[in-house]
Amino acid sequence: MTYLITLLVYAAVDAIACLGLSLQFGVAGVTNFGFIIFQAAGAYIAAILALPPQSANGAFQHYIGGWNLPFPLPWLGAAAAGAILALPFTFLVGRRLRGDFAAVGLLVTAVLLNLLVMNYVPLFNGDAGVAIVPAPLQSQVMTTTTTGYQWGFAIGVVVLLAAVFWLVRRLTESPFGRSLRAMRDNDKIADSLGKNLLQLRTGMLVLGGAIAGLSGGVLVSFISVWSPAAWTYAETIVLFAAVIIGGRGNHVGAVLGAIIVPVGFEESTRLITNANPSLPPNLLPSLQWVAIGLLIALFLWFRPQGVLPERKRVMAVPEPAAGAAADGPLLVRQRTPPSGSPAERDTILQAIDVSRDFGGVRAVSGVSLSVARGTMTGLIGPNGAGKSTLLAVLAGTDRASSGTVRYEGQDVTGLPAYRRARLGLVRTFQLASEFKRLTVMENLLSAAPGNRGDTMRGALAGRRYWRNDEQATVGRAADILHRFGLADLANSYAGDLSGGQRRLVEIMRALMTDPAMLLLDEPMAGVHPELAHRIGEMLTQLSRDGLTVLMVEHELAIMDEFCDPVIVMADGSVLAQGTMAQLRERAEVVEAYLVG
Amino acid sequence: MTIFLASVGFGLLTAAVLAIAAVGFTLQFAVTNVLNLAFAAIMTAGAFTAYGINQLGVSVWVGLPVAMVACAALSVALNLLVYAPFQRRGSAPITIVIVSLGMALIIEFGTQAVVGGISVSYKMSQGHTYKLGGLVLTTVQLAIIAISVVVMVAAYLTLRYTKLGKSMRATSANRQLARNCGIRTGRVITTTWALTGALGGLAGTVYAIDIGSFGPTSTDLFVVLILAAVFLGGPGHAYGAMLGALLIGVATEVSAAYIVPSYKYVIAFVVLLAMLAVRPTGLLGART
Repeated sequence: MTYLITLLVYAAVDAIACLGLSLQFGVAGVTNFGFIIFQAAGAYIAAILALPPQSANGAFQHYIGGWNLPFPLPWLGAAAAGAILALPFTFLVGRRLRGDFAAVGLLVTAVLLNLLVMNYVPLFNGDAGVAIVPAPLQSQVMTTTTTGYQWGFAIGVVVLLAAVFWLVRRLTESPFGRSLRAMRDNDKIADSLGKNLLQLRTGMLVLGGAIAGLSGGVLVSFISVWSPAAWTYAETIVLFAAVIIGGRGNHVGAVLGAIIVPVGFEESTRLITNANPSLPPNLLPSLQWVAIGLLIALFLWFRPQGVLPERKRVMAVPEPAAGAAADGPLLVRQRTPPSGSPAERDTILQAIDVSRDFGGVRAVSGVSLSVARGTMTGLIGPNGAGKSTLLAVLAGTDRASSGTVRYEGQDVTGLPAYRRARLGLVRTFQLASEFKRLTVMENLLSAAPGNRGDTMRGALAGRRYWRNDEQATVGRAADILHRFGLADLANSYAGDLSGGQRRLVEIMRALMTDPAMLLLDEPMAGVHPELAHRIGEMLTQLSRDGLTVLMVEHELAIMDEFCDPVIVMADGSVLAQGTMAQLRERAEVVEAYLVG
Repeated sequence: MTIFLASVGFGLLTAAVLAIAAVGFTLQFAVTNVLNLAFAAIMTAGAFTAYGINQLGVSVWVGLPVAMVACAALSVALNLLVYAPFQRRGSAPITIVIVSLGMALIIEFGTQAVVGGISVSYKMSQGHTYKLGGLVLTTVQLAIIAISVVVMVAAYLTLRYTKLGKSMRATSANRQLARNCGIRTGRVITTTWALTGALGGLAGTVYAIDIGSFGPTSTDLFVVLILAAVFLGGPGHAYGAMLGALLIGVATEVSAAYIVPSYKYVIAFVVLLAMLAVRPTGLLGART
C-alpha cells in the first residue's frame, strides 16, 4: 500500500515538472537544458522554509534560513524560488542568441550550480544535502507515517497536478498560447509580426521555473531529503525524454511521458535489481541512462510527434455575410498621416544613407530612397544587389550598420522588428516562413494585433474575457481567406500546403496585422503565373485603399503591370528610379540587369 | 610568487589538454554544423580505450594512438548512423543538439556499464620532475604540452596550406557553395568527423593522464572548460579555440591556487555566460 502511494506521489510530482517543461519546450519552443535547477531551487527553498534553524537536532547539518514556517508557505516559497531563479537567465533567451547556444548555456549552468552547491556546505549542507525536512502539517498530525496521512498527501498532490494542468491548458488554448506556438515554429517570423520574443520567452522561463520549483517543493516535503545527487544535469534529459516521448505540445502526453519515463524506468530498474541481487550495483542504473539516450534518439527519428501528438485546432470558418461587399476595404485601421510639410505627409518610408556591412562585405552601401504613400513601389536588381538586405534593414529584422530609417516621420532605426510591425510596417520573407504546425487559420489569427487574450494575463482571465476579440479576429481572417480563395484550406496545417499556397498564407497573414506598409520579398516567386496575377490585383486594390507596398520581384512582367515607381539596385546602391518604361530607356540599368 | 608560477605551469598543462579538445569541438561544429554535446563522451571512450590497452600491460603511449583511431571510428559512425540522417531530413539544429545529448548518455553510461562506476588510473611513470624557472613539471606533463603544440601547429598547417584544410574552411563558410565549386563536401565532412574524433580520443587520454584518476563521468565538468574556450574564441574558429583554451586553462588554474580549487570552474563558467550574453560570436568572430 505504501508502495502504491509512493508511486502515485512520484508520478504526480514528475507529471507537474513535465507539464512545466511541456509548456516551455513543447508549446513555446524554449529549450531549457537547465530545467532541473529550477526544481532543485524549489526543493531547497521549501526545505529551509519548513526546517527549524540549523542549530536544531544537534546541529548535524548546515543550511541558511530554517524558518520553521507552516504549510503551505514552503510550497509557495518553492514556486516563487523557481520563478525568481529564472530571471537572471532572461538575457540568454532574447532575440540575439541562437536557441541551441542558449540551451548550452543553461546546460552548463546546471552542471556548475550542482558543483557549487555540492562544495559550499553552509548553503544547503553541501554534498550530504538537507535531511529530515518536515512534512506538511507534521506538527499538527503528530505522525506522518499513517496510511491515512499518506493517502491525504497523495490526493493533495494529485489535486495540485490537476490545478497545474488546468493552468497550462488555459494558457495554451488561448490567443497567447497561439503566439507561443507561432514563436516555437519560427521565432524570426513571429518577431517580424509584432511578437515580443524576449517578453514571451521570459514569461515562459519564469512560469516554467515556478512549476518546476513547485514540483521540487512537493517532492522534498514527501521524501524529506534533498541533495545534489538528486538533480544532476542528466535528470533534465530524463524530463525531456518524457515530454518528447509523451508528445511535444500535448499536455496529456506530458503526463503520460512522466509516467512512462521517470517513474517507469525507476521502478523497473528497482524491480530487476531486487530480483537479481547479484548484478553489479552500477550496471542497471548505467543501462537505464543508455536506454533513455536510445529512446530519445529513436523517438525523434521514428515518431517525433510523440505518443500523443499535438492536437490540431480545428475552427469553424464563418461564411461571408450575405450581401456584404466582397470587395469592400480589407484594411480596418484608418491611419492619419502625420502633420508637417506636404513632402513629409506624402512620404511614408524613407531611408537616408543606409549601409549594412557583413564582415568586409558591404551588402547595402549608402542607400537613400523614399517611398510615397499609397504606391506600389517595385525594387529590382540582379542577384546579390542587396535588395533583401535592404528590405531586412527597413523592416528591422536586420540592423543598419549606419544611416537612418524614418517611418511616418519617426526615426525607427533603433526599433526592433516587432516594434516596427506594431507601427504598421510589416515584412514578408523570401523563404517559406509559415508557422508549420499551426493551421492556415491559426497562421492568420496569430498575426492579428490587439487580441485581449494575447497576453499571459488575458489568457489566464479565461475564454470569456477574450471571446469577443477572438470572434472578430476569426471573422476578419475568414473574410481574407474567402477573398484569396483559401477558405477550404483554413484547417490544414500550413506546413502541408504547396509552395504557392504558402506564399498566399504569408501575404494574408501580413494583412492580418492591419499594416500601413508591406515590405514583400519576392511574393510571387514559385507561384503559378495565374495566381501571381491575382496576388498582384489584390495588392493593387489594397493600395487603392491606402496600403503602401514595397516589393522585391524578379519577374519584370509583374513590375510592368503593377509597380510604379520601380527602384533599381546594383552592388548595394540605388542605380535608378522611375517607371519601367523610363528605366528601359536607360543604358546603365539595362546593363546592370542583363550583364551584372 | 612560487605558488603563482607553479599554477601557471598547471595552467599551461590544462590549456594544452583543453586546446586539443576545444579545437576538435570547434572544427567539428564549424564544418559539420552539429553542436555535438557527445564530444566529451567520446573523450571518455578514448580514455577508457587507452585504459583497456594499458591493462594488457602495454604502455599508455601505445594505447593513445589506438584510442585516437577508435574515437575517429566512433565519431564517423555517430555521424553516419545518427547525425547525418537527421540533417538530411532537415531536422532543426536544436533537435540535433537534443539527439547529441542522448548520444552522450549512451556513450558515457555505456562505458560505465562496461567498466563500472569506480575511478581508475593508468599504470605509468611520471618521469623526472623538472624545475624551469619556477615552473614545476614532470616529463609526462611536458610531453602532453609538446603533443598539444604539435597538434596546434599541425592544425594550423592543415587549415592554411593543404587542400583538405581549404576544403574544410570552404565547407564551413558555405556548404552549398563549396559543393557547387566542386568540393566533395560529403567526403570533407566525413574526414572532419574522423579527424575531430581522433582529437577527442587524444584529448580524452591526455586528460585522463593529467588528472591521474578518472571515471566514466569525469569529463562532465571538463565540458564547461571546453565550451568556455570555444565560445571565448568564437564557435567555429580554430584559432579562437586555441586562444580561448590558453586563456581559460591558465585562468582556471591560477584562480584555483588562490581560491578553493573546487571553485576553479566558476571563472570558466562566468566567461562562457558573459560571452553568450555580450558577444556570442567570440573574440575572434565577426560582429554581426
